[in-house]
Amino acid sequence: MGSAYLVRRLASAAITILLIVFINFLLFRAMPGSPERIILRGVPNVTLERLEATRERWGLNDPLFPDQFVSFLQATASGDLGFSFVARGQTVGEVLAQRIWPTIILFGLGELVAIVVGLALGAYSGWRRGGPVDFVGNGVSLILYSAPYFLLGMILLLIFATNLGWFPTFGMLTAGATYSSPVDRLVDFLAHLALPLATVALGLIGQYAIVMRSSIIETSSDDYVTTARGMGLTDGRVLRHHALPNAMLPTVTLVAINLGYVVAGAITVEVVFNWPGLGTLTVEALTARDYPVLQGVFLLLSVSVVLANLGADMVYGVLDPRVRT
Amino acid sequence: MRLGGLIRRLLRRPDGFAGLCILVFFSVIALVPDLLVGPLQTPVTGLENGYPRLAPPSFQFPLGTDELRRDMLNLTVHGARVSMVIGLLATVITVVIGVIVGVVSGFIGGRTDGVLMRITDFFLVIPTFVLAIILTSIIRDMIGSASREILGIRMTLIVIIIVIGITSWASTARIIRSQTLSLKERAFVDRARVIGAGGGHIMNRHILPNVVNLIVANAVLVFAGAVLTETTLSFIGLGDPLQPSWGQILESSREIGAPSLGAWWYFVPPGACIVLVVFAFTLLGSALDEMLNPRRRARQ
Repeated sequence: MGSAYLVRRLASAAITILLIVFINFLLFRAMPGSPERIILRGVPNVTLERLEATRERWGLNDPLFPDQFVSFLQATASGDLGFSFVARGQTVGEVLAQRIWPTIILFGLGELVAIVVGLALGAYSGWRRGGPVDFVGNGVSLILYSAPYFLLGMILLLIFATNLGWFPTFGMLTAGATYSSPVDRLVDFLAHLALPLATVALGLIGQYAIVMRSSIIETSSDDYVTTARGMGLTDGRVLRHHALPNAMLPTVTLVAINLGYVVAGAITVEVVFNWPGLGTLTVEALTARDYPVLQGVFLLLSVSVVLANLGADMVYGVLDPRVRT
Repeated sequence: MRLGGLIRRLLRRPDGFAGLCILVFFSVIALVPDLLVGPLQTPVTGLENGYPRLAPPSFQFPLGTDELRRDMLNLTVHGARVSMVIGLLATVITVVIGVIVGVVSGFIGGRTDGVLMRITDFFLVIPTFVLAIILTSIIRDMIGSASREILGIRMTLIVIIIVIGITSWASTARIIRSQTLSLKERAFVDRARVIGAGGGHIMNRHILPNVVNLIVANAVLVFAGAVLTETTLSFIGLGDPLQPSWGQILESSREIGAPSLGAWWYFVPPGACIVLVVFAFTLLGSALDEMLNPRRRARQ
């Protein structure tokens, strides 16, 4: 991969992250109340010395820009995001760390299922354009694409948990349960995971299928596909070895770009199922007006999305030599 | 292309026809909710009339009632107005910002373009929804919990409209910019410049009229996004219970655990309305895009 391309992408990602921190800084200064009080609101028994130390640490005695921003940037870079207003004495970093894994598990698996199923569905319906699978698949994709995630979740909850009773309705593990073995624990966890996972996957499948479908339709009229057909290759072989690899390219970017939107879905799905991840944390923080935590969530999610996009660009660069200029 | 001709051509396509029908249906509901179901019900109405609590659909209440004894049909119909008005106003703000940024950036180019596109890309990549959550709550805290209304819309909802507007213009700006870049090189722009027209005049009189088609197609898709964003923001508790949108109704239903209680009538009707409206606008948007976008037209 050309190093110029690499450097440009890295620089661009770095500037974006800088802007994210800058927005966080602006928001933090826009909050009602004096900044040192905001920083220390979650700390019990604040002494005058502590107050002064905080003013010093965050550069609050210096001009707003650039000094205070630089201090803010340094604090953020060292992982100091302030204290939660609500969880007394806990730093934002600690609060986030407790809630990040459930989200990674739920959305990592959801993305995985959606990518596999969505791309397969899209590829097949695009390849057999106008066929029955295309007709039904495209209609279902469009409807799934139009539905907010949490609505899908509420409907799944109604059908499979309330009416059929197959799955538990909320949480990550049964409250107060004791397990005789780790396997029991895992089974209980999986039962709780099933519905939220299905919701996330369903919400994403629609978008992936739609993009994959139009991508494969575009590719299937390209010259090299016609050539492959002319060589007498079987239909399946043309699809798998010639059309698919190139049609996959736009979806790499899509998956990364979509992460930003997925985040919104993430928050609501977790709320529906009371899944103890970053989404429910966001809503709890919102209800309690716990701004440091909200800002921490924003920073964490934004930086993850930027890094994912950077990763996607790198992958794209490897897959498609044309963009490396 | 004239608007009349455009609508006639839309009506001839199945997707365009279906989209327009759904759109007209919900627009009528949003315009005259009072004529259809009477004024918006409050917990007091239900109590005074002795309505049942959380009752399933019946002859008297085709969509059942909620836990505050309100008629769900009444709430859903009034929700149409709130959801559609927020969607519409947020779309206007989004499109205005996007078009200004896109045209200026594409036309002036150079440094201005560089800076504006950096900001645009920033808004494209970050999870703007989380930013919208924080902005909404901070702005509300700053202006205080004022019960003021502007044009009959409560301040809480005005904040939501503005926040959706300022967080979702980026893709519009990108699209308009690329069209401006190609228009800028056309002969009629050169001619205008030769006879001494200034940059502002050229942008207003020559570039803007030529991107109107694109703006329309894009606005339709923006609307779908705005309705979804509003729904999601309301769902996580940023709506206004005194002016309930569909998202706000869904939030109330979740709060009392309607899915676990089996009270499907509480969330399926408003949910179906949201899906239908977004679906209709997505259909319309892609139909318009196919008709107006020369690149896609060539492939047909």
